[in-house]
Amino acid sequence: MAPSSPSVADSLPPSTTPEVAENDLQPFFVLHKASSQIKDRTSEGQGKLRKRKELSSSPQSAKKPEGSMTEESDCHLFQQLQSKAFDIVWKKIESTIKDVLSDLNASVFNDIQQWVLECFNATRLLGEPTISEATRSLPVLNNATPGKLFTALVITRNIEFVDDIFTFEELGHFLESHGCHVAVISSTEFSLKNGIAGCLKALLREFLGSAIDSADISILASWHREQDNYNKPLVLIINDLERCCGSVLTDFILMLSEWVVKVPIILIFGVATTVDAPRNILPSHALEHLCPSRFMLRTPAKRMDAIIEAVLVKHCTMFNVGHKVALFLRNYFINQDGTVTSFIRALKVACLLHFSTEPLSLLHWRALAEGQKEGKSSLSPEAMLKYIDELPLDARRNQMVDHQTKKSMAEGLSELVTVQKLWSTAVLCLYEAGKYSRVQLLDLFCEALNQELHLVRDSECYAGDKKDRGLSSRNDPCQNYSIMQSRGLICQIVRKVRDLPTGMLHQLIESWGKLTADTSKIHEKLQMLQSSVKCEDGRSLRKSSKDSPKKHASRVSVNFDKDARMLNSQAIAFLDYLVRNFLRPIESMPFHEIFCFKNIEKLQLVLIGDPRRRIQVDLLDFHNILRCSCCNKNSNALLPSRHDSSIMYSLAQEHGDLINLHDWFQSFRTIVLQHTNKRKQKSKQSPQAKKRKNINGSADQNEASIQARFCRAVTELQITGLVRMPSKRRPDFAQRVAFGL
Amino acid sequence: MQVNYMDKDESPQIPRRMTRSSASSSASTSNNVLAAKVNSFEPLTIDDLLVGGNATSLNDIISNFPGRSNQILEIVRLLGPLNSPMLPLFVYGGSSTGKTSIILQLFRHLNRPLVYSSCRTCYNQRILFESILNQLLLHRKDASNGYSNAKRCDRPSDFVNFLREALTNVVNNLKEKSRKFSNKMTHGGIGNMIYLVFDNFQLVREWDKSSTVLPLLFNLYDLLKMPEVGLIFISSTSPDTFYSNMGYVEPIPVYFTDYTECDIRQILLKNQVNQKLYSSFLDVALLPLCRITRQIGELSTSLKPLYEKYCEPLTDKGAVPNEDMKRRLFSHFKPHVASSLSETFKVSSLPSAEVETCKEKKWKGNPKRLQQSEEMGDLDFHMSTSAKYLLISAFLASRNPATLDASLFDSKGGSDNRKRKRKPSMKVMEQKESLEEELLMKGPGTFPLERLLAVFQCIVSVADEPSDEEEQNDDGLGIHGGNGGLVSDVLLQLSSLCNANLILKGRSCPIEGSTRYRATISEDLALKVARSLKFPLSKYLYRR
Repeated sequence: MAPSSPSVADSLPPSTTPEVAENDLQPFFVLHKASSQIKDRTSEGQGKLRKRKELSSSPQSAKKPEGSMTEESDCHLFQQLQSKAFDIVWKKIESTIKDVLSDLNASVFNDIQQWVLECFNATRLLGEPTISEATRSLPVLNNATPGKLFTALVITRNIEFVDDIFTFEELGHFLESHGCHVAVISSTEFSLKNGIAGCLKALLREFLGSAIDSADISILASWHREQDNYNKPLVLIINDLERCCGSVLTDFILMLSEWVVKVPIILIFGVATTVDAPRNILPSHALEHLCPSRFMLRTPAKRMDAIIEAVLVKHCTMFNVGHKVALFLRNYFINQDGTVTSFIRALKVACLLHFSTEPLSLLHWRALAEGQKEGKSSLSPEAMLKYIDELPLDARRNQMVDHQTKKSMAEGLSELVTVQKLWSTAVLCLYEAGKYSRVQLLDLFCEALNQELHLVRDSECYAGDKKDRGLSSRNDPCQNYSIMQSRGLICQIVRKVRDLPTGMLHQLIESWGKLTADTSKIHEKLQMLQSSVKCEDGRSLRKSSKDSPKKHASRVSVNFDKDARMLNSQAIAFLDYLVRNFLRPIESMPFHEIFCFKNIEKLQLVLIGDPRRRIQVDLLDFHNILRCSCCNKNSNALLPSRHDSSIMYSLAQEHGDLINLHDWFQSFRTIVLQHTNKRKQKSKQSPQAKKRKNINGSADQNEASIQARFCRAVTELQITGLVRMPSKRRPDFAQRVAFGL
Repeated sequence: MQVNYMDKDESPQIPRRMTRSSASSSASTSNNVLAAKVNSFEPLTIDDLLVGGNATSLNDIISNFPGRSNQILEIVRLLGPLNSPMLPLFVYGGSSTGKTSIILQLFRHLNRPLVYSSCRTCYNQRILFESILNQLLLHRKDASNGYSNAKRCDRPSDFVNFLREALTNVVNNLKEKSRKFSNKMTHGGIGNMIYLVFDNFQLVREWDKSSTVLPLLFNLYDLLKMPEVGLIFISSTSPDTFYSNMGYVEPIPVYFTDYTECDIRQILLKNQVNQKLYSSFLDVALLPLCRITRQIGELSTSLKPLYEKYCEPLTDKGAVPNEDMKRRLFSHFKPHVASSLSETFKVSSLPSAEVETCKEKKWKGNPKRLQQSEEMGDLDFHMSTSAKYLLISAFLASRNPATLDASLFDSKGGSDNRKRKRKPSMKVMEQKESLEEELLMKGPGTFPLERLLAVFQCIVSVADEPSDEEEQNDDGLGIHGGNGGLVSDVLLQLSSLCNANLILKGRSCPIEGSTRYRATISEDLALKVARSLKFPLSKYLYRR
């Protein structure tokens, strides 16, 4: 789960092949191997083979002992279908996300490309050294100013870097397609160990395309002058400046600046935090050679909103998540991880879990496949019925008995889909309005899925209606709408709309028009609003043209004010209508289980590994894993047959935060020797002298081996992070690091 | 005969600013471009060892480098007339004092062949050796030979052999050539001396602890015993910093002094379009900046934006300033000087992006003051909440003495702190100031991981309670508020904070657990982070 670990980073691009994509789920499962609950999930993650295993242990198949061959094959077919369904749906989601992200970056990329061109032209203006001048080691003498390295600082605005590896790759491709030579070097090349040779080697490898034994920048100069290389700008992308070793980077920059006239390289640095980062890393004599410009990427929050909008609100597939899952994902993003990558990963896990646990989710796949074939999704009850009929036997074994149920279910599903469509339009309209009060879609999405709030809204609406009858003569017409009384983001949005100036309100209504264009129900309502806007516009225009310029100011402002208020309250009425009628969370609908993933516990287990706790549990309850015959579950006695580290950890439980090494060793020794002692006690009669003769050697050996085992166990505990080795100050005590579970 | 490799694009216009490598004459001829292009595909000749370009007179060079006439004449004297042997030269002086440029200009003037290698570009001995040999053997790397070197040469002994071979070859060539020329012409031969120039020589000290290369290079003169070879070392440190008690011929030192303020002024004034205006600008700006640095490079980079600021009120940049105008310009300009003193690195952003942010700000419709404060308060990059808490706790652990942790973080810690603050008398204030200074000098303290985690735990548990309620009240999103979850991935967060350079990790064995950390963030940044969490940071900061 480590977002910063290279393995995760490597598997980042969503364009990975299915095999690889399945493999990169591995880390989750490795973490949880011990727990029995998760076993079946492990199997899901690993595709067909494991799935078959799961089948054999799942209660359903256990019920029917040694089922017939046909059923077995049916099950197998079902498994295949499930994984196929997941593949197709996830591929769709993945490609949508990719499109969304590249759309977001498009404008910045264009800016950067423009800038690269400008820089390139500027270096051309400085003068063009001849070939022999450019390739020899003498500095060029004939230009007036010492060359500066044009540098773009691309601020990624996220301290976690995983999200941006993909971005910079894209940037590289983009610039390449616009006629630049691009080299992408990661910070790992700028390490103290490899020094400047390492990064030069990487640079040459990227530009020349072949590995060169002794990396020398004059090679680059020679290459640059060959053929048509000279007519393209050279761009070097270093994607995480903060992680580069400062001294190596300094050397590198100084070296490049010596050659800047001969090999004009344009640098692009990815900066995670602020523009000050280069100042913190590089000394002033290196900074002096840079001519920096700044570019901002979108914030992770914006990216997140875009992804949510495309995937979960606009429903690129019908896959959806429940309120609690959404909330969990949101909190995970905000509190823990903060990367879009891990959000996507979480979504993927959710999707996978959904398809493997919900048999009817296959409908989803069918619908999607059909939709792709015909160019539009066909979700009429008839189509649904057809899909249900086509389901393999296994899936509908329990659920669907007779035709009537099937039919009603098909209708229900179809309705669910239409309601979802309305829901998403409503959410988008709210979001559009929320943009004025900086509401994030992620938060709004969570609130829109909240069933409780929906119920509260309903009841308040009812109460509000009653109240309205009593107190209809309120001053502020806006107060009449129940939407104003509720709490939360939606209310915040509405309040903002109430105070919105007219110009912006017009804009807002216009954008609503675009959003609702294909949902006739809402669009009609909006058109009423729009027409009233137009007529008011006309009126105020007429008025203002009639009025003489002197009176104009005072009177129009009053009128204008009134009109504006009217408009605002009408807009609120529209929002109120949306919220009341269409903002039904998916979980309140029948049959939502088919499209909606709700199992938060499973997801939580998969995502937040909590490995340390796991280790502790496993050390104490080793029996669950080993299932050995010697220890029975009930007895708490420490048997010597247990694993050493397990014994040690159990013993450590008795100590406070400091463990006396001697005591620890003694108790360990007693436990280990328990068995042999018993035997010894029998032969205790034997005289001391005899013992010395015979056993002395073996006893020493025994003692030594116990000590060795002790040391190894302590080291193991230390490596797992449960215990810290004795410090110099207290050589007799080991320190416990982890407490409690 | 002279081969000119001049640039066709080099324009006759006067270059805007005069700096270290720029002493060239601005007049240019482009008649030889074609020849040069053809030449590039032909094998290199001895002539390629010349600096090339138009010959300049000695007087030109002296006038191009203000304050350097002594050194120039000294070097010319040491180089001697054509074909005279010389002892090794050691040219040294601070950076951007004109060492390299003057040497190269002199060689252009004298028209003698040289082999130049910068020890920065040639970053280890092998590359240095191979680069020298490539030049001497007139070898050019290209695609056809797979960008390989003329000779593979890793060991110093090989190098000496190869070098001797190559040098005799070159010298014989030169002698033959000069014989031919002396028949034809009386003047203008390139002589039969060849010079090896080692630039940035101070860097050699860092290669393999200078045990082999440095003595070898200093010893070359004795090893080669060729009177036709001249050696020139250019270094930014004095010869004393090289271990030099090895029994070889001591090179003759030539010291380039730092420029005086007057020289700097002259250099900066060169190539300015409006000399008068720039001079009045320098009157104001140069003095404070000179106190910080005397390096021409640094000065010119920091003066450039300042000059633009200075000229801002002017409509006509060609105007000759009078006293009144100077005063006006000064009063306009004055506030910018102080801020520029501490600014070493200025980042420009594209106008389009600028406009966008402006729009956003206008759109908020706040008065200017508020805007600024808001801008200050915004944290402009994303961090997860637990990373923020961790960063704050690291900052606290770095700032506060460890002994006070208990009193700061127990339940009544805050009030205790306030008591201490109550009476700031003059003396206390003074003390505080000196302590602050001391803190600044010492920098942030280090702390072990355990302390960081303890502080983190305290902070999170304190901060959770109110925020929890808030969330419940506000938006109902706090069901799984994730407060328990904040703690789960701490080590992961810590590593990403370390990667982002916000926390520094000392080097030691990670298993030993004795790694110490240090928060490097400024108080401003910490305050911003705290504000974004609504965390009362100042309550926990220990101030003496």
